[in-house]
Amino acid sequence: MGSIFAFECRYQLRSPLFAIVAAVFFLLGFLVMASESVQVGGVGDNLNLNAAFAIIQIQYTLSILGMFAAVAFVAGSMTRDFEVRTAEIFFATGIGERAFLAGRFLGSTLAATLAVGAGIVGTLAGSLMPWLDAERVGAFSMAPYLFSVWAVLVPNSLVVCALFFSVAALTRSMMAAYVAALGFMITFVVLSAVTDPERVQWLVLADPFGVTAFGEITRYWTVFDRNERVPAFAGTLLYNRVIWLAVALAALAATLALFRFSPGRRQGRRRLARLVGRWRRRERPAPVRADDLPVVKPRQGRRIDVGRLASQIRMDVRGVLRSIPFYVLLAFGMFNVIGAFLGALSQLYGTPVLPVTPVMIRVIDGAFLFVVLIVIVYYAGELVHRERQHRVAGILDATPYPSWIMVLSKVGALWFVIAALLLVVMVTSIVVQALNGYYRFELGLYLTGLFGVMGFYFFLWCVPAVLVQVLSPSKFLGMLAFLLVFIGVQTLPSLGFEHNLYLLSAPNAPYSAMNGWGHFTTPLLAFGSYWLVFTLLLVIAAHLLFPRGELSGWGERLAVARRRFAPGVRLAAAVSALAFAALGGWIFYNTNVLNEYLTRDDRETAQADYEKRFKTFADLPRPQVTDIDLHVELYPERRRLESRGTATLLNDTAAPLEQLHLSVAPALTVEQLDFPGAELEASDERLGYYQYRLAEPLAPGGTAPLTWSLVWANPGFENGGSTTRVVGNGTFVDNTEFMPLPGYDTSRELEDNNVRREHGLPPVQRLPALGDPDWLGASQFQVSRRSAFRATIGTAPDQIAVAPGYLQREWRDGGRRYFEYAMDAPIWPFVSIVSARYEVARDDWNGVALEVFHHPTHDANVAAMLEATKQSLEYFTRAFSPYQYRQFRILEFPGYERFAQSFPNTIPYSEDIGFIADLREDDRIDYVFYVTAHELAHQWWGHQVVGASMQGMTVIVETLAQYSALMVQEQAYGVHQMRRFLNYELDNYLRSRGGELIEELPLMYVENQGYIHYRKGSLVMYALRDYIGEEAINRALRGFIDRHAFQGPPFPTARDLVEAFRAEAGPEHQQLITDLFEKIVLFDLEVADAQAVPAPGGGYDVTLTVQARKLEADGSGRETEVPLDYRLDVGVFPPAGADSDGVDLPPPLVLERHRIVTGTNELTFHVEDMPERVGIDPYNKMIDRNPEDNLRRL
Amino acid sequence: MLTISGLSKTYANDVRALDDVSLTVPRGMFGLLGPNGAGKSSLMRTVATLQTPDTGRIELDGLDVLAEPDRLRRRLGYLPQEFGAYPRTSPQVMLEHIAALKGIGSRSERREVVEQLLVQTNLWDVRGKSIDTFSGGMKQRFGIAQALIGDPSLIIVDEPTAGLDPAERRRFHNLLARIGEDVVVILSTHIVEDVADLCPRMAIMGRGRILVEGAPEDLTARLDGRLWRQIVSREAAMARRAELPVVSSRLVAGRVELRVVADSAPAPDLEPATPTLEDVYFATLLEHGLSVDL
Repeated sequence: MGSIFAFECRYQLRSPLFAIVAAVFFLLGFLVMASESVQVGGVGDNLNLNAAFAIIQIQYTLSILGMFAAVAFVAGSMTRDFEVRTAEIFFATGIGERAFLAGRFLGSTLAATLAVGAGIVGTLAGSLMPWLDAERVGAFSMAPYLFSVWAVLVPNSLVVCALFFSVAALTRSMMAAYVAALGFMITFVVLSAVTDPERVQWLVLADPFGVTAFGEITRYWTVFDRNERVPAFAGTLLYNRVIWLAVALAALAATLALFRFSPGRRQGRRRLARLVGRWRRRERPAPVRADDLPVVKPRQGRRIDVGRLASQIRMDVRGVLRSIPFYVLLAFGMFNVIGAFLGALSQLYGTPVLPVTPVMIRVIDGAFLFVVLIVIVYYAGELVHRERQHRVAGILDATPYPSWIMVLSKVGALWFVIAALLLVVMVTSIVVQALNGYYRFELGLYLTGLFGVMGFYFFLWCVPAVLVQVLSPSKFLGMLAFLLVFIGVQTLPSLGFEHNLYLLSAPNAPYSAMNGWGHFTTPLLAFGSYWLVFTLLLVIAAHLLFPRGELSGWGERLAVARRRFAPGVRLAAAVSALAFAALGGWIFYNTNVLNEYLTRDDRETAQADYEKRFKTFADLPRPQVTDIDLHVELYPERRRLESRGTATLLNDTAAPLEQLHLSVAPALTVEQLDFPGAELEASDERLGYYQYRLAEPLAPGGTAPLTWSLVWANPGFENGGSTTRVVGNGTFVDNTEFMPLPGYDTSRELEDNNVRREHGLPPVQRLPALGDPDWLGASQFQVSRRSAFRATIGTAPDQIAVAPGYLQREWRDGGRRYFEYAMDAPIWPFVSIVSARYEVARDDWNGVALEVFHHPTHDANVAAMLEATKQSLEYFTRAFSPYQYRQFRILEFPGYERFAQSFPNTIPYSEDIGFIADLREDDRIDYVFYVTAHELAHQWWGHQVVGASMQGMTVIVETLAQYSALMVQEQAYGVHQMRRFLNYELDNYLRSRGGELIEELPLMYVENQGYIHYRKGSLVMYALRDYIGEEAINRALRGFIDRHAFQGPPFPTARDLVEAFRAEAGPEHQQLITDLFEKIVLFDLEVADAQAVPAPGGGYDVTLTVQARKLEADGSGRETEVPLDYRLDVGVFPPAGADSDGVDLPPPLVLERHRIVTGTNELTFHVEDMPERVGIDPYNKMIDRNPEDNLRRL
Repeated sequence: MLTISGLSKTYANDVRALDDVSLTVPRGMFGLLGPNGAGKSSLMRTVATLQTPDTGRIELDGLDVLAEPDRLRRRLGYLPQEFGAYPRTSPQVMLEHIAALKGIGSRSERREVVEQLLVQTNLWDVRGKSIDTFSGGMKQRFGIAQALIGDPSLIIVDEPTAGLDPAERRRFHNLLARIGEDVVVILSTHIVEDVADLCPRMAIMGRGRILVEGAPEDLTARLDGRLWRQIVSREAAMARRAELPVVSSRLVAGRVELRVVADSAPAPDLEPATPTLEDVYFATLLEHGLSVDL
């Protein structure tokens, strides 16, 4: 065995395979670390480049990739004797089978491990490179590299090598080993799609690479943890490794037992072939043998040529369908797409969306189309070189087929195969829909979406793939060349070349059930035809250059090409070229003349320019809007919006207003902007900024009317970035898009700090400090006054247009439909207009008219929305204050964006969130209810009370809306569903902390950080309610509304809110409120031990030991322990009943609040019934990074 | 009748494969004999329109082959020297495809032709098996079957018997012999028996040129009375070879038979021999300075 091992090592380590794989992995590891453009895994950009977490994550990814290299090593070592037919010689030398296997296995595994391990060396080298941003390189530590070697590289290598070695040894087929590797990969991909915290626990053990366990351990790690810590090789990580090493050893043992040198494997196959043959071919008598050779005169002509083409395509398709890689790819794609279906269908809080066809198509686009790409790359090579590779060309090329047949057949076969793939995935998708009880299949949408829009360019890309192969002397060279071309074209946009006129693509066209393909249809057709005639030209080129026969050298090929360039071909080429030029010209006219062609960088530059030029005016005193009278004409079919109106501007400052600056959305054309006595000093139409000097300054308290006429034209079609706001059906625009805004508009600034740096801008300006007196006068909406509002909207005759306010009048005029709305009390000048072909569901709650305007087929959850609205109105009016409007409306808008937004008495609600949620099973978390209640709550938190524009402002608007929604939802669905909901919130909060880009702040100081004001907000408010009671909180909120609702400046702050809670809470809860709102506090609670003994007088005595710690974290997540002295829930639970779903705890035998201090706490209970589990804070009301150890089985 | 005139071809690597080849091939079986590398396959491929010559003309019954290759292909049956089949494909499927490409449009006609050919080439029983698994003889029979599809008037078979065992070669010869006599058949080979058994006319090629052309019996007749033989020991053979114009030598029962061409007996101990086509072949090569390793 030793000699075989030594030989194997020498052989493998000297082979080019080893050198190549090692070099590739070294480079991968190096570049990921040392180059900004290569990324592996999701390393956030506030982590150190050499963060321990990043290093280990990279090694996991490399070791998974390394699997495919490992197959080459171990399977190669098993199959090469059989391939080069030296097996018999080798086996005749009398070496024992076990020695042979063991030597080969160890040698090849060592080689595979070393080659893949080169990645670790590469990463290490990369981390030391001098050009790395010194600010983002932490102190060097060897620990993550050592962890990578013995917890990642070595065990993963052993596992995959053992498994694939076994497959290769037993089947003696390289292909079988690769199929196994793919299967393994598929399993892994499918498993890793599951991130649901309710299901992830068992996956931690099932994942063969251990990366899920690593992910789980580091799930709640903060930035600080990720930079510094290396996980302990214990717990689930260790169990996972032990399990998989055991599997690997078992596979090896089985191989040792089953493997035999004697080459007898063909026998089984032959027997199988005989059986199949018997079943397939009933024997037919041979025709009578004629002595003369058959005389059938071939014919020529168009009809015959079609037959030739059909026959050749049949042979080519047959070739693909009979090759194993095709099925491997198909299986891989199918598993990927099914996994993605499952992932996509489980959306928010574990509640699935209905499997509506647009969602399914989007999934296929993301998870399957790359398989089509691989098919094109691989099979274009296989097909074009097929005749020469199998030496059929000599026979076929001497037959009288016209030369164009081969090229057309290759393209046609590729198309057939792609169409078959798409059809298979479409049927799969339909089956998934049907299995989910959804039967509206929309076959037409599948056809347009899969074949027409997403798949179309794959069909077209077949042609360049074939042409490249025609030009290439070998298929591998051709595949490489085509990949270079393809990737080259795909990377052009990132270099600033974004025009679809040269990218062999069309503008991105999102689909919405409401708007269909909408205005994207024209550019899709235009670019589609343009590229279709282009590929026709390529087909002609491929035909001219197709190497029929044995042509030596390019001179001969060009001579042949000249001969093939017959008049007919010339005509086709000329017509195609003309059509190509004409279509290209028309597209160019639309994208570059009618519209401005802007790259992403151009758009960002414009945003940056706006900020650079006008930010200096941000503090310029500005007037307040106090009255809006609006007339908007919508022409949905032309995507045109015309806005005329008057806004009364009030100078509410103490000094005369001498300047008036106006921001207008850059897409709008200004036809008129008038303000009495205003002289235009400077203007920038491109950026939409107008600076006026007032001849007669506006005195403090004075008002004057601003009138405007603005047009949003949207002519023709664009190359990209086409607006989805004004569309054929489902227009949704807000005031920034149809009104001039006084002053500099902060919301237009670039938000991503990396992009800002590229454009020479400082990091995003953070919010003013909590309580900053300079900012108490501005509300979160950036204004300080409410405004009267009146609007007339004209739209298409079949659409309903809605704006905030009450409908005054509806009429038709000139084939158009008009709606007039007016609000009877001032509102924040923050308004929206929607228009679509709606169906309206109506209801009533105590005189409040309830309406849901929805797309006709999206009626599944409308009743649920109305029900949520009623229950919410009931609770909010009782607990907080009266509802300020007589009407409440929900308006569906197209799923181009996914949110719901609360305007006065009006809530635009995306079709992609509530309308397609699948609420057909009762135990699901009803997020439609939650979202509806949350948005309705904004009519109080936002529209009645709003905070000053500074830190903590979103606590008043968002956290209170969360709290309000939670209370209604708990009332409707019970405490169990609420606990599940909060588990998701806890998980989301703890995970998001690790992705914090700047600094985690305590809730009261939150700076518009969603994971804090929504997720932590839910947890904090729920815990607060648990301690001080719902009535105390609602009393505080009522008082808060009394003091601040509908008030002008100064606006309240989060501190005012917290003080209101403190006033109601009583002295014993002051520490709690400090911990919840003013600090980042984490608990580490654990039941360390628990015993139950039968009590002498019946029942049981339960004793439990609780280990407890309280930690305070800073903005980067660095924790410091602080003394704990809290009253916390302690519970004893009976065995779960038969009806339990394993997630919820059964009703407790005992649930009491006890004093818990830092360290060990002993507690004793007496219960009558049989206890099974005990828990400290069993419902996870406190934020704890290991919530699962709060419970313990007795 | 196939007329080749002045055909020359030099490959990119400066190998002169065809050097002013002119040849007239009448109807019937025509043997083209020559050692490996003589240019036979280049000539065959050129006539089969798979490659183009630098200069020269090819005419088949008045048709300018180089100007209108497609019209030649309609009348051509070609069995290349080396060929394969699509993987995992049976002769039936393969032949039907070739029939379609040759222009047999009707499915039933294709079927009929293919089945008839499968029977005639003794491939009926294996018609559903993959060609990959065929023995050399079976594969050559498949090759001739595909060449015969479509009633060709020019059939080119390039080295069809190389590597066949004697029985297979016999069977193959029988198959070729059944091809009609009003068809031009060019059989290129380096095996003399193929020509001797089958061809009323022949040519010998060497170094890209036609060295000699004629009916085998005429060519043999030219050696009548000029061929001598002697059987000597192996030691003596070496010495004799230096003295005499030996055209061939072969082992006969452990001794060496030397054959010598000379107008009169070059030495008294040689006896006259009856010339065979093989003698013609070797003598021709020797005459043109093409050394034959003996």
